[in-house]
Parts: sequence; structure tokens; C-alpha cells
Amino acid sequence: MPEAIEIQLKKGALELCVLALLSQHDSYAYDIASRLADSIGMGEGTIYPLMRRLQADGLVETYLEESPSGPSRKYYRLSDAGRRTFTSQQAAWKSFSGAVDQILGGAQ
Amino acid sequence: MTRQAFIARLREGLRGLPLQAIEEAVADYEAHFADGATAGRSEAEVAQALGDPDRLARELRAESSLSRWRDERSPSAAAGAVFAVLGLGAIDILVLLPILMGVAATLIGFIVAAVVCFFAGAVVFAAGPFLDPPGGPLAAVFLGIGLMAGSASGGALLTIISIGLMNALVWYGRLHYRLLKPALQS
Repeated sequence: MPEAIEIQLKKGALELCVLALLSQHDSYAYDIASRLADSIGMGEGTIYPLMRRLQADGLVETYLEESPSGPSRKYYRLSDAGRRTFTSQQAAWKSFSGAVDQILGGAQ
Repeated sequence: MTRQAFIARLREGLRGLPLQAIEEAVADYEAHFADGATAGRSEAEVAQALGDPDRLARELRAESSLSRWRDERSPSAAAGAVFAVLGLGAIDILVLLPILMGVAATLIGFIVAAVVCFFAGAVVFAAGPFLDPPGGPLAAVFLGIGLMAGSASGGALLTIISIGLMNALVWYGRLHYRLLKPALQS
């Protein structure tokens, strides 16, 4: 089942992708969800349980910011622990995916 | 599905959680609909993109119960965490359940024994000296204190073991829910 393996891969990458987006700049959930939904094809609603988990784990912090249109928005930023987690997960992902790429390339 | 129907099903699924947690979750999704409308999407499109509100509610509920257990070591928080992990419906939990029941029953047995032993110690301590025991009244007093102290430290040890087991279960539940049942729509 090729779909099954694709879903498993995406699930593993989701948290890392959120941390990566937040490492570039602070953002709000709608923005994160729509960017990830377009590029990796996840359900937008799942961003909220995920953000809550990241917040409970102390990897992200929230703050409110006035929005130009309408009520103030909840923004997320990486905490110091989140930044450290991102760096180590990023390194782990790169070495793993590099190894897989090499093997896949060799199999062609 | 309209915004209203989505929020109603979400609320239904979250029922029983602390009011504040429900309102926070609902506010998140309301804001999502509002941002979607600003971006020119219809309510139906946004609801479709968000996914099944029942499943989102289950995930939020699990998240909330598990973090409550982390903040608060109470029996009701423990029960909430166990039910949340079960509610995620990872099939392995069904395999785990009989083992869990056995472990829980054994622990409860030990806890009851510790409590009984403590009260027996209290009785020996209070009444023993007047019953003319072998070894004299002082021996009965020391025996009573010894029983109470022993069962109290036994009880403390059991509490530590219970908390450790609960943490292991929560860890197991989180691991499986990340790997098996989570985030993405198929």
C-alpha cells in the first residue's frame, strides 16, 4: 500500500515541519495550517491538537497580537527548548533522509 | 458542513472537559473559520479542510487529559488519562487492557493490605498495653509503632510505583497515538 507508507512518512515529519516554520518567524495557526496543508497535504484541523501538545511540552509559547483586520490573533513562537529540539530533530532527519536517499539512488 | 454544525459537533465531542479547555478549543476553530472567510473560502470548504470534528475532539480530549495527569497526580486525573488513551482506540490497548487490569488489581490489593496493617498497628498501639501482652506493655507500644511505620512506608512505596506505572502507560499511549492514529487525514 503506497498510500499507507506516505501517510506514515508525513506523520513523522509534521511536528518537525511546524518547528521549522516557527524557527523562521512567529506565526499563527491558520497560517501554519494552510502552508502545511498545501505542501504536505495534512488536514488543517489537526494543527490545533498538535500546537496544544507542543505548548504542553514547552516547545512553543503563545502571545496575542493585534490583527489589522478584526480581533487579536494568537501567535506562536519557539521557546528555547523548542529551538534546541528543532536543531536536534533537524540533524537527525537530515542524516536519516540522506542515508535513505543514498540507498534509493543506488537501487535505481 | 456549516461552521455552526462543525462547532456543535466539536462541543459535543469535548463535553466533560473543563469549561475553559472547551472554550479555548472552540475559539481556535472559530478563529480558523474567520481567517478562512477573510481568505475568501466558504464555510463548507473550511470545514472540509479541517477534517472530522469528532476525531479532532478525541485528540484534543486526550491531549487535555494527559497534560492534566502531568500537572496533577490525583486518582481522577489518572482515570481521565487512562480513558483518554483508551478513547484514541489504538488496537494495542485492547491487548494491554487485561495486563493493566491484573496490575491494577494487584496494586489495589497491596494498598488495601497496607491500610489494614496501618490500622491494626494503631489498635495494637492503643489497646495493646492494657491487654497484658507477652513482653510487657512497652513491647506492644513498639510493635504498634513498628506496624504503622512499616505500612506507611509500604504505602508510600506503592504510591511511587503506581505513579511510575501510570507514566509508563501515558508514554505508551502517546507514542502509539503519534504513530498510529494521529494527525493526518488518509
